[in-house]
Amino acid sequence: MSCDAVTLEIIRGAARAAQAEMEALLERTAMSAFIREKKDFYTALFDADGAMAVGSDLPIFGDIVGPVAAKFPLESMLPGDLYWYNDCYGSRGAVSHSNDQVFLAPAFVDGQRIGFVMGWAHFSDIGGLRPGSLSPDATDHFQEGIIIPPVRLMRGGETNEALLEVFWRNGRYPMQSQGDTRALMAAVRLGEKRLEEIAQRFGPDVLADALAQLLSRTETVVRDKLRATFPVGVTRFTDAIDSDGQGNGPFRLRLALIRTEDDRFILDTTETDDQAAGPVNLLMHPDVPGMALGLYFLQGEQGQVLNAGGPRALDEVRLRPGSLLAPRAPAPLGLRGITMMRLLAAFHGLVATARAGEAPAAHSAYVVLTLRGEGFLMSDGVGVGYGARPFADGTDAVYFVAQENYPVEFMELSYPIRLLRYALHRDSGGPGRYRGGCGVERDYEIVAESATLAVRVDTVLNPPWGVAGGMNGGVGSAVVNPGRPDERRLPSLSDGTRLKRGDIVRLFTGGGGGWGHPHDRPVEAVLADIRGGFVSAEAAARDYGVLRDGTRNGPRPATKAFHRGEYADVLG
Amino acid sequence: MSSAERPLLVAVDIGGTFSDVTLQDVATGESWTAKTPSTPHDPSEGFLTGVLMALAEAGRDPAQVGRVLHGTTVATNMILEGRTARTALITTQGFRHVLEIGRADLPRRDNLWAWVKPRRPVPPEHVFEVAGRIGADGQEITPLDEAALPGVAEAIRAMAAEALAICFLHSFSNAAHEARAATLLRGLLPGLAITASHEVLPVVREYERSMATVLNAAVMPAVSTYIARLEARLAEAGVSAPLLLMKSNGGVAGAAAIRRAPAQTALSGPAAGVVGARADGAAAGFDNLITVDIGGTSADICVITGGRIGLTQSGRVGPWPLPLPMLDMVTIGAGGGSIARVSPGGALTVGPKSAGAAPGPACYGKGSEEPTVTDAHLYLGHLPASLLGGRMALDAARAEAALARIAGPLGLSVEAAARGVLAIADNNMVGAIRVVSVERGHDPRDFALVPFGGAGPLHGAALATLLGIRTVLVPRAPGVLCAQGLVAADLRAEFSRSVTMPLAAAAAAKLEAGFAALEADAVTWFADEAVPPADRNSALSVLMRYAEQGFELPIPWSGLSGLGEAFAEAHRALYGFDLPGIGIEIVTLRITATGRLHGAAAARPAPGTARPIGHQRIRLPEGQARAAIYDRSGMGAGACISGPAIITQLDATTLVPPGWTAEVEPSGAIIMRG
Repeated sequence: MSCDAVTLEIIRGAARAAQAEMEALLERTAMSAFIREKKDFYTALFDADGAMAVGSDLPIFGDIVGPVAAKFPLESMLPGDLYWYNDCYGSRGAVSHSNDQVFLAPAFVDGQRIGFVMGWAHFSDIGGLRPGSLSPDATDHFQEGIIIPPVRLMRGGETNEALLEVFWRNGRYPMQSQGDTRALMAAVRLGEKRLEEIAQRFGPDVLADALAQLLSRTETVVRDKLRATFPVGVTRFTDAIDSDGQGNGPFRLRLALIRTEDDRFILDTTETDDQAAGPVNLLMHPDVPGMALGLYFLQGEQGQVLNAGGPRALDEVRLRPGSLLAPRAPAPLGLRGITMMRLLAAFHGLVATARAGEAPAAHSAYVVLTLRGEGFLMSDGVGVGYGARPFADGTDAVYFVAQENYPVEFMELSYPIRLLRYALHRDSGGPGRYRGGCGVERDYEIVAESATLAVRVDTVLNPPWGVAGGMNGGVGSAVVNPGRPDERRLPSLSDGTRLKRGDIVRLFTGGGGGWGHPHDRPVEAVLADIRGGFVSAEAAARDYGVLRDGTRNGPRPATKAFHRGEYADVLG
Repeated sequence: MSSAERPLLVAVDIGGTFSDVTLQDVATGESWTAKTPSTPHDPSEGFLTGVLMALAEAGRDPAQVGRVLHGTTVATNMILEGRTARTALITTQGFRHVLEIGRADLPRRDNLWAWVKPRRPVPPEHVFEVAGRIGADGQEITPLDEAALPGVAEAIRAMAAEALAICFLHSFSNAAHEARAATLLRGLLPGLAITASHEVLPVVREYERSMATVLNAAVMPAVSTYIARLEARLAEAGVSAPLLLMKSNGGVAGAAAIRRAPAQTALSGPAAGVVGARADGAAAGFDNLITVDIGGTSADICVITGGRIGLTQSGRVGPWPLPLPMLDMVTIGAGGGSIARVSPGGALTVGPKSAGAAPGPACYGKGSEEPTVTDAHLYLGHLPASLLGGRMALDAARAEAALARIAGPLGLSVEAAARGVLAIADNNMVGAIRVVSVERGHDPRDFALVPFGGAGPLHGAALATLLGIRTVLVPRAPGVLCAQGLVAADLRAEFSRSVTMPLAAAAAAKLEAGFAALEADAVTWFADEAVPPADRNSALSVLMRYAEQGFELPIPWSGLSGLGEAFAEAHRALYGFDLPGIGIEIVTLRITATGRLHGAAAARPAPGTARPIGHQRIRLPEGQARAAIYDRSGMGAGACISGPAIITQLDATTLVPPGWTAEVEPSGAIIMRG
């Protein structure tokens, strides 16, 4: 039975409401700061065959149901079942680092399977080499915490408690892990109930048709926009991450988007550099590029949802086993976020190349500072600047979709540290007609007797590029005891730095690239940036040609290649 | 005040177009109403006109007025429209950009690449840092740099600030620096409106507290001026009664308290309506209610359980967090003016863009050609040919033409498109109702639905059907319920104290001492508001959570025994699970203080029947039918009609679909059952 336009919109709204309910439950009941303060969790609804029909606006999801279905045939599933995994290699990258737990429940009406519900959250510690389970020192995926292959945690409502106990016993913070697991399980159950209510209200056939339409609508929009963006032929863009934390790098991501004469779209990543020894490998599920381009192309498309229709708009994704984007097991994967964030910028690079600069400039990769010590583990996700756009400045101080920072007061109450400064990183926004977003500065004083520090900063050697005459964004850094005799600059991706009481860590995060020529930025906007601490007077004079008195000085410099060689394609 | 000599209450609600005044004699229950055009250039003008009209109508003397109640949207509109006062913020050295950075919170439903950060109410150039540091334990680490304050004051003068907010780190646990800075700056900057964060909101999380402090400061000059004008107008008219204003928590407070903490009125207007809905519900014997206030551009939804209005401490106003106690209200962009569109991708959407009051729906004939929810109602025959007692004619042809614009691309008939627009708007509201009901652990089927606002009673039956609700209560005056709510409101304030401790280690004596201190604060407040002892009520509760959770649940306090079980039970009921074996924490002690004001119930209608004043064509899914039209003022208590019918009154139209009955209950409310 087919679903009319009105019912479709109603089902879309009801699915969105179900997601909001699940998210609220998670936020209110989870225990780890990673989930309840930072909000590193997502939800999605799938059709009866397991295609993601209503996802989160996050471009990192692969085929979530497939790995479960491969082991537990769909027809063997029963109401009250709950499946679980975090197995990266076992899911072809549907999950891309082991901290992310996927809980999945099938939903039924009258014995008929009508769909699936997912709850996904980052658990703050699941064992492994170091507290937090993520470290640039990892050389092997087995050092990155316990691996849960697709398993059936509940059968017909009965929980396999032993499985949970094994999991909790393998983490350093079992109580948090227990609270987070129960919260996620309750959220998935709630979503399951809502999906069943939707199916009962409209009938399973109408629901199935609605989800199919949502998928095909997204596919159509993304395919139309691909067609409008990319000419027949090959569009190339290359970007790079700095290092793997183990002395190797840079690693280049070489993308080629091929549009054939008969309008097939192929993403070829096979020329990407070989996999890394350190944990920056991104086991990229072939669905991820379509999700990422989908999120970009769905901007301003009211009423469309990001779902598996995005991946369907790409006819083929080519990966080369042994490359940074298709590493061979058991290469470590923990810090794949660095590569993921760079990959997202590289997709914009493809668009910018094809459309002569009508695309956002690059952003910095999000930054994580981890402090470990006697009885505490602090993983502080820190925002960066995003790229300027053809219509607006880049966003200041954002980590990623929906993820929040830790309040200073919360941190000081929860961990043996004191924050001395939390401010925008001045001059880190790439100058342009539209300015790149600013990163931040965070100064931490160690109050514990001793602690070990890990920092994760990328986009330093290869700064976030500007577009259409916009300049590069500023870069991040981490320094211990700045201005003191024992000052030392840390490698931007490093672990094991020993700190003692009274030490100060000054962290700067990178900004976003600028868009358009800086001399085209209105003088008043530049002056406001100076007053607000976004831009220094010196940088205003140097990059924007704007003096303190509001006059514009000197000749307008010709747009030059702000980037070395391989980025030159970007510049219009 | 003696209610014998001064028995009159005056309630004034100022809307975008009209101001409504209700005058009530608490001794006799008699009441009078007046409606007068609002005067946006100086709302106090319309306020006074309305009060005088009502007094004249009643033939009463201004000296007989014992109390004036008012719900105001001055603060709300300033915040939502970004028109707040030029405000400075003084903060701890090193933290100038706390507001600018926020929680790095790009909203979950927004597109990462499209989102543009909203402009803060205070730009970073107006934020000043002062050295001095309180630690997380409340101990001073670095003394306040008092010597820096004259320089900061100079800079604040130079920027021509109209208001000043002060928010230092950890002031919620030790306010000494903030209080000292406020004292010195009041001396250095006489006449400037100053708010210190510990006075407004002594709770953890610096961004949210800074925002609440800044918003409070930024609306203070305008709210103060506004209150002063109202008081002057009242004095001019010979009314010497105290002025009480509705707060976001559904209680009223004296003008002096509101001047200090005007951000408490951020939801003043909607709160008055919800209090009115509660009063009408109570009069008809219902105390579990879901209220839906549908206006031109939005719908506000709240839940009342056991006669208590749901409150939250994590509310938002526009894009800003405002963690003051306020209605737990969900607002969505679905109202009578919401515009229906078809996207290039073929999706039919309704709202959030609205045609507002001007140009308004296509059927208003003021130039808009886009179809709205109201146009859909008119086309389907849910509305009479004119509104406002015949003063405003509706143009059915324009409504049809507008709807045809979306029907074509969707391949639907105009009628199916109209029904679709309503179905989508209803569904959006149902989603929001679930958020405030189901998500909070309530089953909507245990509630009566109270639709109000001008467009509310058109949607009541449809929403109830979707939610499985069997009873719809249409208030006597659904379009002007705010004034009713003001008459019914009580004084209300919350007093909280942070105590964070494991339940296992909690000593009853310590908690009782904490409550005693809060009780002392409450007693001072009762005295300030002149509440006689017999009218005072204090409800004690404990906010609890599992160790390391981030949200607390309020549990009524009746002593330490059984507290853990009560919490686990509440957690199970709300979230579907509890965590045996995991420690429970007591986080906050709270006293909710209420001063009863005894607004009298309005007079009940005389028994009678109902006769149609006409008929019109209504388009139903099963075909066209003849619907009877009733005038609500002609329906006596006990009158019962069957759908399809429409009930008209000055301020709203009620749709009674086929299969539904509508009965005038003894209190005057209409009870619809389907």
